[in-house]
Amino acid sequence: MTLRVMEKGDLASFVERLIASEPGAVGPVRKDGKHVFARLASVEDLDLAYTTTLLPPKKYLFPPQETLLRFRLGAPPVVEPVLEAPPLVVIGVHPCDLRGIWATDRAFGDDHVDTNYRARREAITLIGADCLPDEHCFCTSVGSHLPEPASFDLFVTDIGDAVTVEIGSERGRALLERYARSREATAADLAGLQKRRHAKEAAVKARLNVDVQMLPLLLESVSTSPLWEQLGAKCLSCGNCNLVCPTCYCFDVGDLMQLNLEEGERIRRWDGCTLVDFATVAGGHNFRREAKSRVRHRYYRKFQYLMTRYGRSFCTGCGRCSRSCLAHINPPETINALLAEAEREEA
Amino acid sequence: MRPKVAVFDFGCCEGCQLQLVNLEEALLDLVGLVDVRQWREAMSEHADDYEIALVEGSITRESEIPRLEAIRRQAKVLVALGACAHTGGINAMKNHMPMEQALEIVYGDKARWFDTIPARPLSAYVPVDAAVPGCPVDRQELVEVVKALLMGVTPALPTYPVCVECKMAENVCVFDLGLTCMGPVTRAGCRARCPSNGNRCLGCRGLVPEPNANAHKEILAEHGRTVEDILAEYRMFVSSAEVAQ
Repeated sequence: MTLRVMEKGDLASFVERLIASEPGAVGPVRKDGKHVFARLASVEDLDLAYTTTLLPPKKYLFPPQETLLRFRLGAPPVVEPVLEAPPLVVIGVHPCDLRGIWATDRAFGDDHVDTNYRARREAITLIGADCLPDEHCFCTSVGSHLPEPASFDLFVTDIGDAVTVEIGSERGRALLERYARSREATAADLAGLQKRRHAKEAAVKARLNVDVQMLPLLLESVSTSPLWEQLGAKCLSCGNCNLVCPTCYCFDVGDLMQLNLEEGERIRRWDGCTLVDFATVAGGHNFRREAKSRVRHRYYRKFQYLMTRYGRSFCTGCGRCSRSCLAHINPPETINALLAEAEREEA
Repeated sequence: MRPKVAVFDFGCCEGCQLQLVNLEEALLDLVGLVDVRQWREAMSEHADDYEIALVEGSITRESEIPRLEAIRRQAKVLVALGACAHTGGINAMKNHMPMEQALEIVYGDKARWFDTIPARPLSAYVPVDAAVPGCPVDRQELVEVVKALLMGVTPALPTYPVCVECKMAENVCVFDLGLTCMGPVTRAGCRARCPSNGNRCLGCRGLVPEPNANAHKEILAEHGRTVEDILAEYRMFVSSAEVAQ
């Protein structure tokens, strides 16, 4: 991996040239006082001074709704798979969201390769950027606060009077060479990068009071905690936490017929395990009937089941679920309360 | 054989039928698939041998009950069209005052010429096979319901709330804009139309089957709504929700 340095004005012209020359460039833009990833028409649209976007960049890999295939009924029926994977440069992805993409890569790319996800993943170039934590961020507690070398094509960090650019792939290197003016990093630049990272770590205030690797064990011991009952009473079962999560990957599949009742399309759309009917199966039985069991399930997914399977927390500490939960249910408070309870029982 | 369809209305503004008319091109396709036997708002012909009845409006007078029962006897499939038919709609706001008072507000010194009963959804009097919720109905959803009926499938309404569609549209949460919203307890299916266009959800599609109303009321209170506000909010569209299907 190589570290390069750009003057700030050169970063703007780099982005401008990406927008002008690449088939599609998206990045964080303002929307009603918040930020969303959206198409960039010019570098002025891009606002890198942001904490988080409403939806994670997952939406470009696994859209809220997509068509899987089109069909025409008959004997035999005609079926045509649909695969849309336009090339896209995503600018300004934070380390927590890069971790989120690591997680969806596991879900859609490891044991069962999802063709549509895979094709879009290959068509995407990720240009990461350093971030500004707010009171909901707890990335340092789950170890997703630093950009991991293999998780991006390029990663930019504002170190004050210039920006450093880490090159994470050949694709990233090619883009940089083609569109940007940059120089080699000096020892002073590297020190500036370190300093910036320490400052960011110090700025992250919310935390889990437990080593993240202990969470599968902790959860093992608190499955009957009264806390689940309390959270279930507060939970609206609205699915907000699932829908904004960078690692939730559940979906539902259905058919939409055209008015001629002969042609149709098979679509899939996001689903969420906190929604009432998520676990309703044929015959009408719902094996997670109560809100408390659904809330608990979500925590077990992030910090036990998937963690045991893939060796890492499936929570990225991005804080989106905390921000979007009207009932203020959030991972730091939940985990810390469970920990306190387990410690009380031990004493 | 194209299924024979009829459209009826009870106490309502007929705005949901208007949405049906507003389908325009899709309406022509739809009409090609069915045989419309009567529809007062859109045609002058009239026949009583229908199989599918699309019924708009809530029941607000005694005399409407036998008329609805007759429709039910004839129709193989009865569809509640819109909020009034589905949950009682805004007509049911009057259920929270004496009927004499409601009559007086509407008809003034002519009140004695009219009779009224508490507004109820169709399902309070007859079995309802399917519903298209909303005030007014969502045209796309209406077409989906009709297609399902034509295919012999029971139309399924979402059991999740408007928040799901609102998040998928990546809207800034109405609560974050300094307003309050019925979205967390209201049945989805409208593609979060109001929050996506700068408004808050008023709950016109009725409650989800299992709303956590207590938690929602606490959230409304936390955002500055008084008990009276909250009651008014819930009574606007969902006052008869307990009898809605």
